[in-house]
Amino acid sequence: MDIWVILGPVIMLFLVLGFVTYAILFERKVIGWIQNRVGPTQVGPWGLLQTVADVLKLLIKEDIIPRKADVGLFKLAPVLAFIPAFAVIAVIPFTESIKFADIAVGLLYYMSISSITIIGVLLGGWASNNKYSLLGGMRSAAQMVSYEIPLVLSVVGVIMSAGSLNLTEIVHAQQTGAWFIFPQFLGFIVFLIASIAELNRTPFDLPEAESELVAGYHTEYTGFRFAFFMLTEYTYIFGMASLITILYLGGWDAPFGLTFIPPLIWFILKFSLFVFFLFWLRATMPRIRGDQLMEFAWKGLLPLAIFNIFLTAILKEVSFLSHYF
Amino acid sequence: MNISGELIAFFILSVSAIGGAVFMMNLTRVMHMALALAFTFFSIAGVFILLDAPFLAVTQILIYTGAVSILMIFGIMLTKHKDEENPPSFDIKKLWSLIGVGAFFAVVLWIIYQSPFFTSEETVTDFSVKMLGKSIFQQYMIPFEVTSILLLVALIGAAVLAKREEKRK
Repeated sequence: MDIWVILGPVIMLFLVLGFVTYAILFERKVIGWIQNRVGPTQVGPWGLLQTVADVLKLLIKEDIIPRKADVGLFKLAPVLAFIPAFAVIAVIPFTESIKFADIAVGLLYYMSISSITIIGVLLGGWASNNKYSLLGGMRSAAQMVSYEIPLVLSVVGVIMSAGSLNLTEIVHAQQTGAWFIFPQFLGFIVFLIASIAELNRTPFDLPEAESELVAGYHTEYTGFRFAFFMLTEYTYIFGMASLITILYLGGWDAPFGLTFIPPLIWFILKFSLFVFFLFWLRATMPRIRGDQLMEFAWKGLLPLAIFNIFLTAILKEVSFLSHYF
Repeated sequence: MNISGELIAFFILSVSAIGGAVFMMNLTRVMHMALALAFTFFSIAGVFILLDAPFLAVTQILIYTGAVSILMIFGIMLTKHKDEENPPSFDIKKLWSLIGVGAFFAVVLWIIYQSPFFTSEETVTDFSVKMLGKSIFQQYMIPFEVTSILLLVALIGAAVLAKREEKRK
């Protein structure tokens, strides 16, 4: 067996941990900048060790389990939430050569494995035996199940254009034609909105609405288990940023023939653009209202996603456009 | 019989699938049951991967995680937190259901033994999603459409039934 089969995922895990650590710092700095503050500055130069200190604090905190909680499920829930978040990274190709599993149904694998997290969140909310946790868990499940449908339907346009479910093939299709953000603009918008809702980020962070629900499904969680729920959320940002880069922004493909910059750098640049966009949204958008949330998914995004499928099917047959579709 | 990795994986997955189903029957709280059910479904998805059908495996997970989460939500909404199912008591109704289920099992088993299987093994390793799409939307177009109409009818029927119940209150 190749040594990389074992070593690769371990390196990836540390990369993801490093990403999460500095994404949190970056988020606080960006929001501080937008709100005319400076953000964390005290721990380390330019606040660089702030998140490290925060994580260390979480690790040495007392592990509290409520007496009336369902202990087994309470402990299982963060694990069940995190494992899929890390497992989805297995199919993501970062460049032509840096990838783990090159399976034929990579895109569908991502969608299906990431939906397992819903069960973890719901179990965590239920096992805490706390009303706020339960409400947060229920909201989260309802939101994630609803927004998963436009999310999956919006990528059908990409699948039709690329003719494959394999993520590497999808990037290759964009290298020969145009990046899918241009011909699939409608699908891109639907995917972008649905993916933010899937990530439970502002403006769709109702499951964690602190003004109504204390902290949502992880109200009762402390220390290490709480850290795992947070880690899950930021790992999904990593996954979703990679996925949107691959599906719509051409993956590692260099624009304007700037091939002297290595493909991995291009990937990281596009990836960072999405991550920055998320933080930007968080600093500037208010939270959406609960009754608008479901209506928006079922009456707004779903018809648009289906319309996008029809549009792609029709434009694929137009002779002078078929190169791009 | 030679022991390969595939065989070991198959044994682990099938034991998990059957174990999940047994736990599902024996656990007393709704959430635990739903989780056991999810465990069974994921193990079956693993069996599909062993059979070189990744598309089927992934679809299985995609559909059943949604189904299990919805089941959990209904479990939460319709039961109390500490609610436990009473240990089953045996009565004459149960005996009849046992006979019914046994008869159904016998019929299914008989049909399985009666139906002729293809003598030669089909090659499954060079399967692709494209081939699946072609066979569903060209060769098996009509059964596919009929199934989707059946599902639509069931969906509308469920909605109508739920609506009627609301009116009666």
